[in-house]
Amino acid sequence: MSVMTRVPEVPATAPAPAARKARRRVDGTPLALLLPALIMLIVFIGWPLVQLVVMSFQKYGREQIFGAPAEFIGLGNYLRVLGDPEFWTVLARSIGLCVVSVAATMVLGVAIALMMKALGTVMRTVVSVGLLLAWAMPALTATIVWGWIFDTDYGLVNYLLTQLTGESWRGHSWLSDPLSFFTVAAIIITWGAIPFVAFSTYAGLTQVPDEVMEAAALDGAGGWQRFRLIVVPYVRSILIVLLILQVIWDLRVFAQIYALQTIGGVRADTNTIGVYIYSVSMATGDLGSGGAIAVILVLVLLAISAYYIRTMLKTEEEL
Amino acid sequence: MNKKLGAFALLSASAVVLAGCATGGAPTPTADGTPEPAELRVWLVGTDTPQAARDYLVETFADKNPGSTLVIEEQQWTGLVDKLTTSLSSSDSPDIVEMGNTQAAAFTSAGALLDLSDIQDALGGSDLLDGFVEAGTWDGKLYAAPYYSGARVVFYNTAQYEDAGVKVPTTLEEYVSNGVTLAGALPGVSGVYFPGKDWYNALPFIWENGGEVAVQNGDGTWDAQFSSEASIAGLTQVQELMTKASLAAKDGDETEAWVPFRTEKAATLSAPSWAYWSIVADEDKKDTALTDTLGYFALPGSDGGAAQVFAGGSNVGIAARSAHPELAKSALEIMLSDDYQTILAENGLVPAKKALGSKVAAATPELAAVIADAAANAKLTPASPKWADVEAKGLLQDFFVKVAGGGDIASLATELDTQIESILNG
Repeated sequence: MSVMTRVPEVPATAPAPAARKARRRVDGTPLALLLPALIMLIVFIGWPLVQLVVMSFQKYGREQIFGAPAEFIGLGNYLRVLGDPEFWTVLARSIGLCVVSVAATMVLGVAIALMMKALGTVMRTVVSVGLLLAWAMPALTATIVWGWIFDTDYGLVNYLLTQLTGESWRGHSWLSDPLSFFTVAAIIITWGAIPFVAFSTYAGLTQVPDEVMEAAALDGAGGWQRFRLIVVPYVRSILIVLLILQVIWDLRVFAQIYALQTIGGVRADTNTIGVYIYSVSMATGDLGSGGAIAVILVLVLLAISAYYIRTMLKTEEEL
Repeated sequence: MNKKLGAFALLSASAVVLAGCATGGAPTPTADGTPEPAELRVWLVGTDTPQAARDYLVETFADKNPGSTLVIEEQQWTGLVDKLTTSLSSSDSPDIVEMGNTQAAAFTSAGALLDLSDIQDALGGSDLLDGFVEAGTWDGKLYAAPYYSGARVVFYNTAQYEDAGVKVPTTLEEYVSNGVTLAGALPGVSGVYFPGKDWYNALPFIWENGGEVAVQNGDGTWDAQFSSEASIAGLTQVQELMTKASLAAKDGDETEAWVPFRTEKAATLSAPSWAYWSIVADEDKKDTALTDTLGYFALPGSDGGAAQVFAGGSNVGIAARSAHPELAKSALEIMLSDDYQTILAENGLVPAKKALGSKVAAATPELAAVIADAAANAKLTPASPKWADVEAKGLLQDFFVKVAGGGDIASLATELDTQIESILNG
C-alpha cells in the first residue's frame, strides 16, 4: 500500500504552473470514479459502524434482536464496561498477546524476506509457495490442525516429546494453563501472519539499489551494518505500515482464540478482546455492552494507528 | 500533498480493518444456494437423532407436501446459543430448530420463535412431556415443543471390572471408590472417563449429596448453591473421580467419549443412552472390543436406587422468521407424530409423548429398564430464561476444568456462585 502511495511522488511535484491552473477547473470525473467505491464503503462498513455506535448507547438484548424497541440509556453501557475489572484484565491480556505475536511476526517475517533475497530461484520459489499456502489457509482450519498437533492424548507434540525425552508426555494438556494456552495461540497467529510480512518486505527489499549495497560493502560495512544503515531506511515506511496492520490484526484476533477455546482451556482465563466482545454480545445476549466494548476497541486502535501515522509522516519529512 | 494522501489511504485502510472487527459479531450470511421457494431447512443438533428418523422425516415430508423438500442441517452443541442468536435473527434463518431444553427459554422469551399454541393439540397436547412443555412455554404460550428426552446411563467394561475385581456399585460412594480402584489396577486405563468440561455428569453428585444448582428466593431472585456444604461434598467426589480415576483430558469435553471407552482406555463411561450404538460398533460398523463385554447400570444414588441425573433433552421450534411457516408446521407435526417418536424411542431416546414411554426399546430390554430407571429420577437446571447465558458463557465448563485441575473447591465454588447470581439476577 505504501508502495502505491509513494509512486505518485515524482509526478506530483513536477506539474508546471499551466497544469496546475488546469486542475483548478471543476471536474466531476474523479468524484464519479470514486463514487462506486464510496458507496460500497458506506453501505458495508459505514452503516454497520453507525449501527454499532448507536447500539452501544442502547439497552440492546435478545428481545431487541428479534424486534423489540430499544431504549436509549446514555453512557450506561460504557460506564458498566469501564467499571468492570474483567474488561481491563481482558484488554491487558490482549495487548500482551499482541505485543508478543507482532514482535515474533515482524522479526521472523523480515528474516525470511532477507533469506528469500539471498536464495536462488528454485529455493525461493519453494519458500514462496510454502508461504503462500500458509497465507491461503483459513485461520479456523489452521487452528484446528494446530489443535491436533497439540492434542492432549494423540497430539504430535506430545508424541515427539515422549520420544525425545523418554518421559511420558501423553495426557499433558497444552491449553489448560493460560500461559501455555497463549504460547500455542501466539504460535498459530504468528505462523499465519508471517507470509504477509515476508512477502511485503521482500517486495520492498527488491527496491534497494544493488549499487548502494555494493558501495557500502566496499567501504567495509558488515552485513548487520548494511542491514541497519541502508536496508532499513529504504524499507522503513513499509515496515511501519506492516507493523500497524499487524498490531490491529493481532489486537482484534478472534478465530484462533475462539477455536482454541473449544478445543481446551478455561474460557474465562483466555478471553481476548475480540472473543470477549463476541461472548458478551452473543453468548450473554447483551449487544449494548458488546457494542460499547467494540467502540472502545476501535478508539484504542485508532489511537495506535494515529500515533504511527504521525511517526511515519515525520520520518518522511526527515528523509 | 502526497503525504496527506498516504496518511488518508492508511487511515481508510485501518478503518476497513477496524470495521471488520466491529462487525465481527454481526450475523454473516452462511454460504447457501438460492433457496427454492419450498425448501425447508431443519437444524438438528449433534448426532442424537438416529439416521432412521432423519430418513423418515425427509421422506414423509416430501410425500405430504408434493414439490417441497426438507433438508436437515446438522449443528454442534458447542456454541449453539450463539449460533441460534445470530441465525434466527438473520434473513437466512433456518425454518425449524432444535435446542437444548435448558436453552429454550432464551429464545422463547425473546420472540425468536413462532407461537405454536394453535397446533399444540395436533402435536400431542397433554400427552407431551410436562417438564419440556414448561421449558418451551413463555407467557402461557407454547413456542418450543418437546422433542425428546435423554437419560444418562453408565456403561462399563465387564472384562475390566472382573480383572480389577470390582462389582457394579450400589451407592454413589462405591461408584467413586470403584473408579479409583479400577484406575489403580489397570495402568493406562481410566477407571471412570471424566473429562473436565463434562458438567452434565457432575451435577448428580451435587444433587445426591443434597445440594442444588440454584434456588429461588421468595422475592424471585436466585441464590446459587455450589458453595453450600452439601454441594461441596458432592464436588469433592467429582474432584476425586476426575483427578484419581480419570485419565481424560482435564480440559477436554465429552464429545466422542465413547472412543476411549470402546478402545479399552476407560473402564466406565456415563453417557446418553444412544451412545450405545457408538460403543458396540465403530464408524465403519465393525465390532469393537466392547461388543461382547458391555454392561450398563443406572448411576446409583447416595443411598442405593437410581441417582437424580441431569434431564437432558431437546425442544424444537419454528423460527419466527421462517419463510414457510405452514410447511414448517407440517414438518413439526411429523417430528412429533407417533411413528417418528417411536423411531426415537426404539433408539433409546425417551420420546416426547408420555404414551410412547413404554416403546423405549433400546438394544436390549435390560438397557431399556436402566434408561427408564435413570429417566424416572431426572432433574433440571434452574428454570430461568437467563440460565442459557450461564451455559453459553461456559461458566460450568470453566469451573469443572479447574476442579479437574485440582483447584480449591470451596473458593472456586464461591466464585462460581457469584458469577451465576450476577447473570440470573442481572
